[in-house]
Amino acid sequence: MATASPLLDALIEALRVLPGVGAKSAQRMAFHLLERDRPGALKLAHQLALAAEKIGHCRRCRTFSEGELCPLCASPARDAALLCVVESPTDQLAIEQATGYRGRYFVMLGRLSPLDGLGPEELGLDQLARRLGEGEIRELIVATNPTVEGEATAHYLAQLARHAGVRASRLAHGVPLGSELEFIDRGTLAHAFGGRLDLI
Amino acid sequence: MRERVERQPAYVLHERPYRETSAILELLSRDHGRVAVVARGLRAPKPRFARGALRALQPLECGWIGQGEMGQLIAVEVIGLPQAVTAMQLQSVLYLNELLVRLLARNDPHPRVFDAYAGLLGDLPRANAVLGFALRRFEKDLLAELGYGIDFAWDLATQAPVREQGYYRVDPEQGVFAVAGPGRGALPGGALLALAAGVLPAAELLADLRRMMRSLLLHHLGGHGLQAWRVLRSPVPPADPA
Ligand SMILES: [Zn+2]
Repeated sequence: MATASPLLDALIEALRVLPGVGAKSAQRMAFHLLERDRPGALKLAHQLALAAEKIGHCRRCRTFSEGELCPLCASPARDAALLCVVESPTDQLAIEQATGYRGRYFVMLGRLSPLDGLGPEELGLDQLARRLGEGEIRELIVATNPTVEGEATAHYLAQLARHAGVRASRLAHGVPLGSELEFIDRGTLAHAFGGRLDLI
Repeated sequence: MRERVERQPAYVLHERPYRETSAILELLSRDHGRVAVVARGLRAPKPRFARGALRALQPLECGWIGQGEMGQLIAVEVIGLPQAVTAMQLQSVLYLNELLVRLLARNDPHPRVFDAYAGLLGDLPRANAVLGFALRRFEKDLLAELGYGIDFAWDLATQAPVREQGYYRVDPEQGVFAVAGPGRGALPGGALLALAAGVLPAAELLADLRRMMRSLLLHHLGGHGLQAWRVLRSPVPPADPA
């Protein structure tokens, strides 16, 4: 549905690149910016242009970074013998905030997923394999999500590690601490039951 | 047109994020075929549905309200334990799920495909040694169910049964034709007869069958191959050159 302004139409179309934004929401956003918040619109345009131009990927871990190396990869305080592989910067942040982990990360920006067109190349796993081959890493900590795609990726990573003679470990999945069995959803409980561990 | 579906046997084939906290699930259901449903709030901190259950391999009963292309998930029941599988088998599941999403049209019921899929998942733990052949049989039955079936035991060139010792090529639209002898793309008759009868052939014939089924699938996928063929290769080279 075209408006009276080609520029407005183009803006609405451009806003639709955002995930979950359809024609209706894009129109609402465009009207809001033009009617009520022109300074905000200019600031948004400026920041978007800057970010798109200046933010790249860290050469070592692939996370978003303005420099060649992100601060975490550049920091001498981090243990270079430990490498934790995560699916996304959000997962990395969660681990940073919740654990006292002092090693480094590798951010795949996805997981092996045929239906999403994501394979080893898209995830930078050739780069990871080279890094494992350099000999500095002693343990590869696989922190993929417990989905079928995440588990298949974990298997792939374990194969890479084994090939390079590096120990591979993974996060434990299962019953959340502080919860009671009767209230856990059955899928999670079944998964935890299947992945049970030896006591002592 | 709104349609309410209740307690429908289903598997999750794929999930993708939708909006802030929701997800779109591709389901394979028994009586409604492949359907896409929105699972509202599935990715919220306290999801409405059993998050851990809504994953591939878990037998489910789902309810949804259908509305055109996309339904809305309203209920999920967990039916039994998810199949315990090895990592190798997980890759096969990813392959199967992509195959089904690519080949099945939405809202086109194929109860026999659902049963074959459920059966194959159930057999996975025992199918290890013959997993490749189990996949070939599934592909053969899937193509037949979709109307692309081929009689692998009948030679159209001579209008006679395929012979164990003969060599053949398979045309994806028509079927099996005898060729002069071994050579590019030629298949031993023994491989075709084994596939037709569902009897495990000699190990060296499995690669022939895989290559042949891929070319058939590629044809029916409109020439755009599956990502799984590219994505799910082993990372480790088969052998060291030294
Ligand atoms: Zn980095």
